[in-house]
Amino acid sequence: MHSPKNHKSMLKSFKIFLKSIKHHRTPIIISIVLTVASAILSLFIPKLLGDMTTIAINSYPEIDWSALGQKAIIIIVLFCGSAILQYGQAYILAIVSARYTKELREKILDKISRLPISYFDKHQYGDTLSRMSNDVDVLTTSMSQEIADISMSLTTLIGTMIIMLTINIPLSLITFVVVPISVVVVARIMHYAQKYFRDQQNTLGVLNSKIEEDYSGQIVIKSNSYEDDALADFNRTNEKLTTVSRKAQIFSSLSFPVTHIFTNLGYVAVCILGGVFVVRGQINIGDIQAFIQYVSRFNRPITEIASTTSTLQSLLAASERIFDFLDEEEEEPDLVPAKTIEKVKGEVEFCDVSFGYTKDRTIIKNFSVKVKPGMKVAIVGPTGAGKTTIINLLMRFYDPDSGYITVDGVPTREMKRSDVRKMFGMVLQDTWLFSGTVEENLRYGNQSASLEEIKRATKMSNVSHIIEALPKGYKSLISEDSDNISAGEKQLITIARAMISNPPMMILDEATSNVDTRTEQLIQDSFEKLTSGRTSFVIAHRLSTIRNSDLILVMKDGNIVEQGSHDELLKLNGFYAELYNSQFAEN
Amino acid sequence: MFRLFRFLKPYWWQIIILLLATVLQVYTTLRLPALMADIINNGIVPGDVGYIWTAGLWMIGLAIISALGSLISSYFSARVGTSYARDIRKAIFVKVINLNILDMKDFSTASLLTRTTNDVNQVQMTTIMLLSMLIRAPLFCIISIIMAIQTAPDMSWIILVGAVAILGTVILIMSLVIPKFKIFQSLVDKITLITRENLTGLRVVRAFNNEKLEKEKFVKANDRLTKLLIFIDRILELQNPLINIIFNGTTLLCSWIGISLLSKNFAYLGNMTAFAQYVTHVMISFLMMSIFFVMFPRANVSAGRINEVLGKLPKINWVKKTNGVPTKTPEVEFKQVDFKYPEAEEKVLDSVSFKAKAGETTAFIGSTGSGKSTLVNLVPRFYEATSGEILVNGLSVKEYAKDDLIKRIGFVPQRGILFSGTIKSNIKFGVPDASDEQVKRASEIAQARNFIEKLPKKYDSHIAQGGTNVSGGQKQRLSIARAVCKEPDVYIFDDSFSALDMKTDKKLREALKEVTANSVVLIVAQRVSTIKDANQIVVLDNGKVVGKGTHLSLLKTCKIYKEIVKSQFSDKEYAHELKLAEGVKNA
Repeated sequence: MHSPKNHKSMLKSFKIFLKSIKHHRTPIIISIVLTVASAILSLFIPKLLGDMTTIAINSYPEIDWSALGQKAIIIIVLFCGSAILQYGQAYILAIVSARYTKELREKILDKISRLPISYFDKHQYGDTLSRMSNDVDVLTTSMSQEIADISMSLTTLIGTMIIMLTINIPLSLITFVVVPISVVVVARIMHYAQKYFRDQQNTLGVLNSKIEEDYSGQIVIKSNSYEDDALADFNRTNEKLTTVSRKAQIFSSLSFPVTHIFTNLGYVAVCILGGVFVVRGQINIGDIQAFIQYVSRFNRPITEIASTTSTLQSLLAASERIFDFLDEEEEEPDLVPAKTIEKVKGEVEFCDVSFGYTKDRTIIKNFSVKVKPGMKVAIVGPTGAGKTTIINLLMRFYDPDSGYITVDGVPTREMKRSDVRKMFGMVLQDTWLFSGTVEENLRYGNQSASLEEIKRATKMSNVSHIIEALPKGYKSLISEDSDNISAGEKQLITIARAMISNPPMMILDEATSNVDTRTEQLIQDSFEKLTSGRTSFVIAHRLSTIRNSDLILVMKDGNIVEQGSHDELLKLNGFYAELYNSQFAEN
Repeated sequence: MFRLFRFLKPYWWQIIILLLATVLQVYTTLRLPALMADIINNGIVPGDVGYIWTAGLWMIGLAIISALGSLISSYFSARVGTSYARDIRKAIFVKVINLNILDMKDFSTASLLTRTTNDVNQVQMTTIMLLSMLIRAPLFCIISIIMAIQTAPDMSWIILVGAVAILGTVILIMSLVIPKFKIFQSLVDKITLITRENLTGLRVVRAFNNEKLEKEKFVKANDRLTKLLIFIDRILELQNPLINIIFNGTTLLCSWIGISLLSKNFAYLGNMTAFAQYVTHVMISFLMMSIFFVMFPRANVSAGRINEVLGKLPKINWVKKTNGVPTKTPEVEFKQVDFKYPEAEEKVLDSVSFKAKAGETTAFIGSTGSGKSTLVNLVPRFYEATSGEILVNGLSVKEYAKDDLIKRIGFVPQRGILFSGTIKSNIKFGVPDASDEQVKRASEIAQARNFIEKLPKKYDSHIAQGGTNVSGGQKQRLSIARAVCKEPDVYIFDDSFSALDMKTDKKLREALKEVTANSVVLIVAQRVSTIKDANQIVVLDNGKVVGKGTHLSLLKTCKIYKEIVKSQFSDKEYAHELKLAEGVKNA
């Protein structure tokens, strides 16, 4: 569980939270007023009920029904009125919190599209996702709960105190002494309960990651007979979790019986003393009855106020997480006015480019290369050599630290990001398709494409027969874990998607594994078609692709160590030659 | 849900104490209003101060007993609840860790994780509620009714009115709202899905400049969700005001009827207050029970998901002690082995036979779905062959005790899986008593020594959960080191070289040759280059062995093998390989 670090940051996030909800203040104030009014109306009911008893006794045995009837009607009006006001405030608050939730979610989504890619390379998706769902939920529900609870409790508390005092001062004082003691005790208990709840949350986290590790590594556990050790380890954490969660449970369930004792003690005191007072004629029976009711009403708001601290804490923790996210530094804005290219020829140049993902580690140093229109560039190197860095820079997912990249002589940094990206088509190993129909996915890069165009592209990318064999053809649904389409077929669809968007240049990433031989040939073939006549950059794993390229960039440990054509590089007898020969050593 | 109650059995005596304490608490709490009525009737009205004091002291005593009862019952419900949850968690963990790999495939890791933690929590919460509330509420209800009738028999019909009103309100509101909850959940899922896709497909969304399109999709779903939420809240918020009206109305009714009955029996003066409290108790119990019925279905779903895991029977039975004596020289032999998935029609492996000898490398190649990975998984009995026999060191795998078989096998899975800990603890995973020398040697062979010894803490470097702080290739090398450290009779590499670049791949295979001089090596591979030098290559297609022999002999005889080679080599290289193969014949 995330808890605010200190009071200062808590106050800060609370202020930001208040500012973000400022434009809803009118309905919120109205709903507070309604709550207060509703609480006040219902305050008089016990007193009036007591009055009825007093009237009955005073006129006994001749009961004054008309006077009783009047009181009864007032009571009915009061409680109906109070209920209507209560509904009014709940209604208004529900609308406010629903709208506020909606606004927050949209703000977060907007933020996602404005944050630099580097943010997401450093943070896990799950984290952002949980800010969008859990934290927003916690914030808005605890907000409306808090508004209703605090105003209701305070009004009831103060109102009850005043009415009790008007009925009988000594009896009121007894109650006022008992109740604060109970509040102090309950607050103490809650404090411990919260501490153990936090412990419980942390231990649960530890247990979770242990289980996840063991479950996903089951094959390793099995192939090393590690089951017993894993179980012993699990048992230790499981036992610890049980102990803390037991403590948390016990402490949190203590508050109920403890308040109960105090309520009952107050109750009994009122009965005894009240009884004595009645006998002495200092108070009448109806008032005692009313008083007992007020005592029981007095307790609830107090326990509620005591429990608001925990709600408030989770509210603050949630708002801190949400507003911290909304406060993250955004992508540098596009240059205004930005440069544009009328008709892209496809000449790409890296001029003295240096780049590092972190300040302290530059991985591309003073790299320059000129790519002529229509050239095929292969990027090769061992795993982890930083081949995707080139893609990140070309697409302006990241910008170079120094130097620049130009297309047809125009620095991409001086263009709008969207215009830069429009020039490139991209097919990655990670074949991302969104859940929707095949057609919607194909159209993703070009909404206005006609069905003809789409069909032409799927035919070119060798995927038309696969799509047409699906039960619903182009209208078939693709979902995140759809198994009606294999990984290789998904890649073919992404190739078709890139064809439909028809960009002047291409960026491709060849798949390494998980594709069977036949599909691989299809992919290879459609890559061929996709790159013909276009300037293209290919992260290559296959020597056949590499040898057919016009220019090879050889990467090692993040650096571009060699560049040139296949024959030139072989002659150089450097890293590339070593890499190449390792496969055909005996040739 | 009820099937899980068997886990409560060890705690039966705690549950009985809990029940007794609950009964005690309920009874004493409910005696209080009756005593209060007595004070009014027998103490206040006749003016008997002595009676007031005695009854008052009684009340204090009862209040304390009631609080004690409540303390005891909360203590035991916390104890029982947490122990119960611990036992279920443990049962699931033990089950999962001992499930065979095939059964694991029925669940995703994420879903198993949810079952072990979230689902258990859900069941725990509901069971605690069941133990405390579902016993307390009906008990409260019944005793209240009895006592209410005792104090004021003429007014007992009011109980019925109150109860019917409360039940009617709750049922009405729930029947309006619950059908909407399903739609609500699906809309929430939709929003999460869109957000997730925006995160996972970040680069694609930006590459196609589709931020606006994504936002439109999101806003549409978000608007629908907000509208539905407001609609649900509008109905749901009716509940509290309506219940308040019913509570107040019933209390007024009690006073009114009580006063009208005064002429018949003056004791109603005190009794009507007590009666009103009993009626309130009855209504509160009904409310509590209705909450349970809202919670129950959710817990029941969780319980069903837990039972699904617990109900899985391990399909592989190991003998306790190895029957027979395995030979000293390592050897693996498959005799007419068939394998098919339990419900499947088609065989994954179809009468596969081969013999793999010590000091030799046997490789398996074929397209995806050819069954090559399944084949090697049969050796450590991750899967069980449907028919046929698998011999390790001359003895059927079925005759081995588990640890005896596993210690003979060093299995390297496709994904490099590491556990949190240190590099050393990961390499020693299968041999806890391995010396530092052994660890170093294993890393050396797995080509991992270089990068390990460059790290500041070398072999004691920390490995994060899931091995996220090392690269894919490093993970793979460490998991190879883990197998080498075992010095097994049989090495199995299940496509374990895919994350390595060709150069490291080659070096590693050379280093392995030395240590495996006296072991059987089984390699599943995608790349021909990895297995070219194998003593025996087994070519699989649709589960059948379609070729067996060396690289060169297969190039001549096996059509499918030729296809595979052709797809991975350039035309020139392919021609060269073919020529070499011809050369073998001519020589």
